[in-house]
Amino acid sequence: MSTNTSIIMPGERVTIVEDAAKSKRIILGPGLRRVDEKVVATKAGPLRHKEPNTFWVDNYQRRYVPARGDLIIGIVKARAGDLYRVDIGAADLASISYLAFEAATKKNRPDLNPGDLLYARVLNANADIEPELVCVNSNGKRGKLGVLQDGFFFKCSLNLGRLLLRESCPALAALTEELPYEIAVGVNGRIWVKAHSTRETVGLANAIMTLEQAGYAEIEKICGNLSGVMQA
Amino acid sequence: MFMNANLFEPGKSKPERNFIQGAVKQNTRFDGRKSNEFRDVKLTFGADWGTVAVSIGETKVLAQVSCDIGTPSSARANEGTLFLNVDIKGVAFLDEAQATHDQRFLTLNSLLERTFKSSRCLDLESLCIAVEQSVWCVRVDINVLNHDGNLYDASTIAALAALMHFRRPEVSYVEEEIRTFSERERELLPLLFLHYPVSVTYCVYKSSSQPLVDPTLLEENAADSVIVLSFNSYQELCTLNAGGTAPTNVRTIMQCARSAASRSKALVQFIRKALELDAERRQQPNQVAGLVDLLNESAPQLSFKHLMAEQGQTETNKADQLSGDEPMQLQETVSEEQTTDTSTQKIPEPQMDDSSWLPQEQNLSEEQQVDGVQLSSKQEVPTTAKAGKSKPNRGKNKFVKKQPPTPRKQNQSDSEEEVTQII
Repeated sequence: MSTNTSIIMPGERVTIVEDAAKSKRIILGPGLRRVDEKVVATKAGPLRHKEPNTFWVDNYQRRYVPARGDLIIGIVKARAGDLYRVDIGAADLASISYLAFEAATKKNRPDLNPGDLLYARVLNANADIEPELVCVNSNGKRGKLGVLQDGFFFKCSLNLGRLLLRESCPALAALTEELPYEIAVGVNGRIWVKAHSTRETVGLANAIMTLEQAGYAEIEKICGNLSGVMQA
Repeated sequence: MFMNANLFEPGKSKPERNFIQGAVKQNTRFDGRKSNEFRDVKLTFGADWGTVAVSIGETKVLAQVSCDIGTPSSARANEGTLFLNVDIKGVAFLDEAQATHDQRFLTLNSLLERTFKSSRCLDLESLCIAVEQSVWCVRVDINVLNHDGNLYDASTIAALAALMHFRRPEVSYVEEEIRTFSERERELLPLLFLHYPVSVTYCVYKSSSQPLVDPTLLEENAADSVIVLSFNSYQELCTLNAGGTAPTNVRTIMQCARSAASRSKALVQFIRKALELDAERRQQPNQVAGLVDLLNESAPQLSFKHLMAEQGQTETNKADQLSGDEPMQLQETVSEEQTTDTSTQKIPEPQMDDSSWLPQEQNLSEEQQVDGVQLSSKQEVPTTAKAGKSKPNRGKNKFVKKQPPTPRKQNQSDSEEEVTQII
């Protein structure tokens, strides 16, 4: 669609969306907002559209705003009573209860220390309350959630995190062809990777970091370069 | 690199630290450098005298020197003052905990004070206008714009380059009246230096005996201890700051010290060269780089690798020369030891370090002390020949200069003696 290329600024009236809204019901995603009969942008970036009726602004952002259900990576900062305080890159520290781990009871507490990495899901996200995390699903099973051991951890923009998680994104698939690795991507713009050797992990992390500035077309090239770098 | 991009300080989680420890063991670094490899240092001079932006990799520091006329302290009535001010509040992503922030700030500030003030690198007496009444107060403001490790080196290089770049107006003191000449009336004066110190930072890890030089923020945060050594261009130790918990071999520290000494020399040479180029540029009209140019890198940058690469060939020759000179100089200094003995306590820092020098280094350290003494009693003009060449010369000068004043020296303070020689 042609709307893909239009850049909008905060406060701008977005008439394209208003026009679309005349004929059908539409959904306003992040960065768009209805003010009376007008649609106004609240963030800067290209306007995106997904068929049939969703619109949003794909703005470049590094500060995470928690949303319920997000999978994120956090760093344990401290323990406070029966909670752990976790830094998830949001305005507030998040909290996670001792009991929010698989098979945890009052007696059998998880052993977490400051500095540990946690892959968790956001349970509660509200502007006025600090976010709350869990490391189990509704059945009480941990699944892939929990503490991340070893590997390397780094930070990127929220956009890169989302890009990697997109089903259509070729990056992770292309990297798989180069070497075996484990990866955890948090939508709060934090990525944890682990490969067999230090060298491979360094190469992998650097490859992912360069994707930050790359366009869609360059992804394959960057991923392909990795094997060359590894051998060098 | 986007390592520090997300309002977030790297090296705060266990996996990162363990990873770096493991990587150090295998002699790999995240940015592909060798353990003894430095990042490129870039200098940019601003339109004003004494404005310098320094970048080491992603670390960026802006230094600005200013001066005005004030009253001296009663203890040192005939000396100007040097004030160093560091501001790291501009780096938003650093750990916001107040305690960490204060600690970082205090360490950096005290390191700079020891490197520039305690080592007496500026000739403060030349900044005196009227004893006990008015002196020049030189102020260095260091603004940290981005922190990707090795803030120490970046700030010392910035401070030194800014001080060397700085020009103060000339004043006259006639009949209790101070008259400041504007730039048009009389040419501005550079500050006088006794020596030129810069620091070199090493990170030591428990997992490896090989220290990493010029650490990034990630490496710095994962390190068990950080060693900062300040050397001047004559390879004399000015500051040693060793903190942390890693048990460090004396031999390791010595090895660091040796490479730091040669690195410092190269850095000072680089700054001199950059200053020369800047002076040339200032001759041409319409070459003013404003603050904005300075920050968005549209101003001409002077890169260490680039400038020193040209020098590479002459450097090797010089190194040969230098190694040939050393033994000769050693003899000289040994014979002179008694005469300079009394004044050695003047530079306490190298002496305190004496115990940590290895026995085999005894002669060398003595030589350095002697050099230090000689250095401070000798007038240094910033435009002297390169350090490597001047070293043997200084040895000769010393012979001539030293003999007459030694008898008086016993009961006179060193600083007074300096005045008599300089004025």
